[in-house]
Amino acid sequence: MLRRSFTAVIERNVDFATGFVCEPYETGWAIEARWFVNILAADPAAVLAITAEVSPDGLAWCPHEAAPVERSGPGLMTLPITNVGPWGRLSFSVRGAESVRGICYLTLKG
Amino acid sequence: MTERALTRPALAYGDVRLSRFDPLPRILFFDDFDNGANGWCELIGNHDGDLDKVRPVVSDMRPPQISSVSFWDIGTHGSIDGTYALKLATRPRANHMSLAIKRLTYVKPGLVQFETYFTFKSEAWIGARPDHQSGYDGNVDPSVFDFGDFTIGNDVCDREGGRRYHCALRYQNTDHAGNLTRNWQYKTSLQTTTKMEFSGRPAVSDYHVSDPGDWADVPGGHQPLCYNEIPTKINWHYLRYVFDTEAGRNVELQVNDKVMDLRNIAVPAYDHGYWGLDRLMNFCIDVRTHKPVRNFLFLDSVVVSVDW
Repeated sequence: MLRRSFTAVIERNVDFATGFVCEPYETGWAIEARWFVNILAADPAAVLAITAEVSPDGLAWCPHEAAPVERSGPGLMTLPITNVGPWGRLSFSVRGAESVRGICYLTLKG
Repeated sequence: MTERALTRPALAYGDVRLSRFDPLPRILFFDDFDNGANGWCELIGNHDGDLDKVRPVVSDMRPPQISSVSFWDIGTHGSIDGTYALKLATRPRANHMSLAIKRLTYVKPGLVQFETYFTFKSEAWIGARPDHQSGYDGNVDPSVFDFGDFTIGNDVCDREGGRRYHCALRYQNTDHAGNLTRNWQYKTSLQTTTKMEFSGRPAVSDYHVSDPGDWADVPGGHQPLCYNEIPTKINWHYLRYVFDTEAGRNVELQVNDKVMDLRNIAVPAYDHGYWGLDRLMNFCIDVRTHKPVRNFLFLDSVVVSVDW
């Protein structure tokens, strides 16, 4: 049997600003995960940082051990996750601009 | 169970998991969500590559999730067998709907039967009850008022340019005023399509109908389901829904012991044709919240069968 995989579009054409967190998603079946954020529109000076968060219940959250990832300007960024946990979400922070616009994907395999 | 079930020993299927279903002669698919999402995916409205142009009502219907049905107080509830169920989750925003679709075409017109074991809940919380949760008496839990409705339906098109219709049956747990109604309902107007909005029809707030009030109670359709007191206890319910792609209508809905005859319920059909939808047969399930509280619909498994 091939391993299962699933791509979830968690946020679509959303303005990500500091303090924004995406909708939670259940990941307990997955062995590995990878977040992608496709920044569609951003000021060239804007820097987006994404931090993975995990939860045992979808209600209480803490940072995942993976280091945050940053990108400046439009384009694709990614954050790989091992030791995935039962729920995942992504936390956003922006500097150099108020917000950036993009799409947030969570890809899972297990 | 029906007479048909009596003639079909469970083991005749070669899979004991099917013994809790009552399929028609040919099983089109059996989705055990311990094995993944099985082709159930998020619905999105039509677009030209610019997602900002997607109609708001069909722009954010949320990806379905493979869920262990876990809760903060007891951990994993799990599905009927195995661990996982398919979960639809709304955002915590009033009138938000999450909808999953499975897309097929069909070989012959006739009866199509959708069976599932489902359960539903609004999102729990940790700690003191939220303000809107006053009135708990140890049995009646006000969290039941946080759950809006869920709907099962289809999208069928006979031929390219031919008859197209959506059947939709909604379990309204609460109405928009927050009253606990617990009725099965059917829709009385067309689902507004992207093509119709392109032609000048107004945008809608209820995906299924032109006006949010375009629903009527199914005769004999009042049915208290098993809520089970608090938002972290779930109980699976059996549902069997039959529609007819020859007659273009609903046939029957069974939920546990209640069987509702739907044959005389009119199904709105479009007065214009659609290109590229020859023998379209989509299955749809959705859940909608009326409050800023996430609503969840869980399916343990699905069996769809036909009479050909």
